[in-house]
Amino acid sequence: MTSPDSISGAANQADGSGGPLGWLESQRNRLIVLSVMAAAAMLLPLIANNYVLEVMSNVWFYVMLCLGLNIVVGYAGLLDLGYAAFFAVGAYTTGILTSQFGVNFWLTIPAAVLFSCVAGIVIGGPTLRLRSDYLAIVTLGFGEIVRIIARNLEITGGASGLIGIEKPSIFGFEISQIAHFYYVFLILAVLACFVSYRLQHSRLGRAWQYVREDEDAAEAMGIDRVAVKLYAYVIGAIFGGIAGCFFAAKMTAISPETFTFQQSVLILLGVVLGGMGKIPGVIVGAFALVLFPEVFRDLGSSRILVFAIVMLVIMLYRPEGIWPAKKS
Amino acid sequence: MSFQDILLQQLANGLILGSFYALVALGYTMVYGIIKLLNFAHGDLYMLGAFIGFVVLSFLSAFLGDSWTGILCSMVLSMIAVGLLGVLIQRVAYQPMLSAPRLSILITALAVSMILANLVMALTDGEYLAFSTDLGYDGLELGNVFITYTQMVLVGAAAVLMIALYLFVHKTMYGKAMRAIAIDQDACRLMGINVNRIIALTFFIGTSLAASAGIMAGTYYGSIHFFMGFVVGLKAFTSAVIGGIGSIPGAMLGGLLLGLLESYGTQIPFIGTEWKDVFSFGILILLLVFKPTGILGKTEIERM
Amino acid sequence: MRKSLLVSTVCGVAAGMLLFGQVHAADLKIGIMIPTTGSEATSGKDMENAIKLAAKEINEGGGVLGMNIVTMTGDDACDPQQGTAAANKLVSADVAAVVGGYCSGATLPTLKIYGDANVPFVICAANSTKLIDANMGNAFQINSTGFDQVNTAVELFEKKGIQKIALIHQGDGYSEDLAKLTREKWTAMGKEVVAYEVVNKGEQDQSALVTRIKSKAPDAVFWTAYYADGALVIKQLRQAGYRDLIAVGDGSNSPKLLEIAGKAAEGVYCFSNPTVEYLPAAKEFHAKYKQTFNQEPDAYAALAYDGMNLMADAITRAGSTDKDAIKKALAETSGFTGIAGPISFTDKNTLARSNFVTLIAKDGKWTLAE
Repeated sequence: MTSPDSISGAANQADGSGGPLGWLESQRNRLIVLSVMAAAAMLLPLIANNYVLEVMSNVWFYVMLCLGLNIVVGYAGLLDLGYAAFFAVGAYTTGILTSQFGVNFWLTIPAAVLFSCVAGIVIGGPTLRLRSDYLAIVTLGFGEIVRIIARNLEITGGASGLIGIEKPSIFGFEISQIAHFYYVFLILAVLACFVSYRLQHSRLGRAWQYVREDEDAAEAMGIDRVAVKLYAYVIGAIFGGIAGCFFAAKMTAISPETFTFQQSVLILLGVVLGGMGKIPGVIVGAFALVLFPEVFRDLGSSRILVFAIVMLVIMLYRPEGIWPAKKS
Repeated sequence: MSFQDILLQQLANGLILGSFYALVALGYTMVYGIIKLLNFAHGDLYMLGAFIGFVVLSFLSAFLGDSWTGILCSMVLSMIAVGLLGVLIQRVAYQPMLSAPRLSILITALAVSMILANLVMALTDGEYLAFSTDLGYDGLELGNVFITYTQMVLVGAAAVLMIALYLFVHKTMYGKAMRAIAIDQDACRLMGINVNRIIALTFFIGTSLAASAGIMAGTYYGSIHFFMGFVVGLKAFTSAVIGGIGSIPGAMLGGLLLGLLESYGTQIPFIGTEWKDVFSFGILILLLVFKPTGILGKTEIERM
Repeated sequence: MRKSLLVSTVCGVAAGMLLFGQVHAADLKIGIMIPTTGSEATSGKDMENAIKLAAKEINEGGGVLGMNIVTMTGDDACDPQQGTAAANKLVSADVAAVVGGYCSGATLPTLKIYGDANVPFVICAANSTKLIDANMGNAFQINSTGFDQVNTAVELFEKKGIQKIALIHQGDGYSEDLAKLTREKWTAMGKEVVAYEVVNKGEQDQSALVTRIKSKAPDAVFWTAYYADGALVIKQLRQAGYRDLIAVGDGSNSPKLLEIAGKAAEGVYCFSNPTVEYLPAAKEFHAKYKQTFNQEPDAYAALAYDGMNLMADAITRAGSTDKDAIKKALAETSGFTGIAGPISFTDKNTLARSNFVTLIAKDGKWTLAE
């Protein structure tokens, strides 16, 4: 639905640089595409019904979670199989503080950030020295431990979880409709993209890249590899924690079933399918994750099978993921 | 039951459970020892062993009825089938990845595991399948401790398989080659050992042991499910780590120890069954952090 | 740029109207919310079949207020996240009412969505007591809740002269709820709960737990969770020589339990919702269901069938599809005769009577216990 002149412009560019995505190379064209997509995302609530908005809010929500895990897996190169634990920490912080102590929703966010940091340090601190395959199992174990704790304690509502979590309001305006949450999650996703982008191009981002490519060389260059990994871990945890807060507010009810190993694997799938370490790739992955079962309802139960096969093929033939690698 | 009886009964429970863990842990440890790969799909091969055994057994029972012969035949067939599948997986999915970054091969293994589990889920509609064999509850009563004959047969079978494996690894040329490859692959190649063939053999033996445990569990517990490999896979990995990953006697010892820890763990006052898994995972994490080489593992200075 | 944006917005709005605005005047759109994918898909599809069968019969008999019932299914996949998506899908499609609800966990967060949209909702199967508090007045539960099941269980235990019981659940909302309520009631009666245990889903070896329970010598063991793991617990309890009473909750009411546990299940009691084979009034439905779908109806088919018929009845009584009128008609339901028994509601919109029956496993089959 672009205007005719931009289409012909695109065709001209494509002829020049070859390849179907060639015309995206131009800065101007990329800006056009981006702004059209941004406008579409912002105007969607004007035309779409609640169902579409619900699904799209879910997409933005997974974009944030996947970008958070991407910092750990894509940037620092550490396999984390228990990312749902951080998401759980955020959701339960908001859930417990608002429903049992009557704390204002917005005040629970700093608390959730704090708790996610602590969780990240507790999990990462002693284990980041381990070999990466051991780390994968340890994170899996921690993920399960967090879920079992949530299931067994009285304050987390046991296996039934918490209900009646207050919906937040801002300047007297209550965020209660799905269209409101759509914008909330859109803003969160955009913020997550921005922070990810800045991190990737920061000193820390380059340090992660070094550690990922060659740990010993990185250490020889004076990079404290454990500290650098721990940063990735803690920042990833904060992403998950904040996403969890808003998840609790949107659902108004949370239970341990949401934070299983399967949830962690789903988020990891989003990161790997699109392309680890690449922001657009991760966004594409999150879209695929949420939209696939909605579009192919009949294949819904075998969605993980389809994703797993795609993931295997990607690993074998295109380890950089679906999103094309940047030419260097 | 007196306290002493409880302790004895839990000893029996722990040893039976532990021998299942040990059988599965052996495959983990052998594969890890030889190509330093954490085969996430190992638990799913255990599951697949049970399903293939189920299919063969229901086919055979038309001719043989419910008998130990039928169970034995289906066990052998399922071990061969799953062993070959293990070799195939190694060739198709792992072999090309051996020089890739560690992260990629771990994700590949995870993908294989998910494919196996979800494929079986799709084929069975996620249903539980019931083994029709009813092995009976007769057994020996020693004081207040009760052990069925079936349990004795299972533990005996596990012991036979483990002894056979030990003899194979330590008394044959193939076994010697396996141990040599674990130490230095390139040197082995120079010595004229067909490294790829020995790796394939290791996969075959490791996965067929998991399959044997799978079908034993299926006939003993009576039901199988596509998700059954996840829990056992994790427990077997923990066993392998406790014993020292890469060490074959370590995996056996680790399996038995974990079995005992779990059965005695449920008797600890105030903790109760709801914290049981926190207990096992906690031990795994502490062990990995403070003694990653386990009880019998060699210290290995390597960082990835 | 600005022009192209305007064009795209206009096109988008038009496309949206075309896609989502199709409602025929003569159709009465009823939403069905059940899991058609995921672990509970079998039960969900069974309920969907029963609801569609009821709708077909109503249409053949002239419809509701002259309108033809058209159903639309929202798949909650027995998962809270997908449940909210399904509920929003149905609400967006402007359904007049919703019938369904199988998993309590997935149904719970949807109550707010239906409540905000003021859509009348008949909950056919989901029966956690948590649903009662979250109800905004538009939802009606036609299955008895956990409270009723506990009463049925306690009645049986008392009749059998039982003093000490052991409770085992599976760490999910439904089975924990049932175990907790039973513990509260039993201790309030001055009797003893000697063991209160959890089994992790999918774990096969329960020997340690069985030894622990046996050592406490309970007169009865009550398994409050689902059939698959329940069968293993029963089998291993009997194998270890436990000879006293074993009872299981409605989540374990499945022939599969008997198949897996084999002869160990003989004499096990089960508290169950009214399933088709024990309902004299359901004979005709049973035959029709088998003929239409070529399979046996599952545990909640009868309730799902009743749910659709009740909704149609309420809309007829309301005389319009006005949501408040339907709600009022539902609340005023008195002695509606479903195949699973008469339906009236308490002031909390729950079924006014207990519909639980006690079954016993005999010769590899569930039969009514006397």
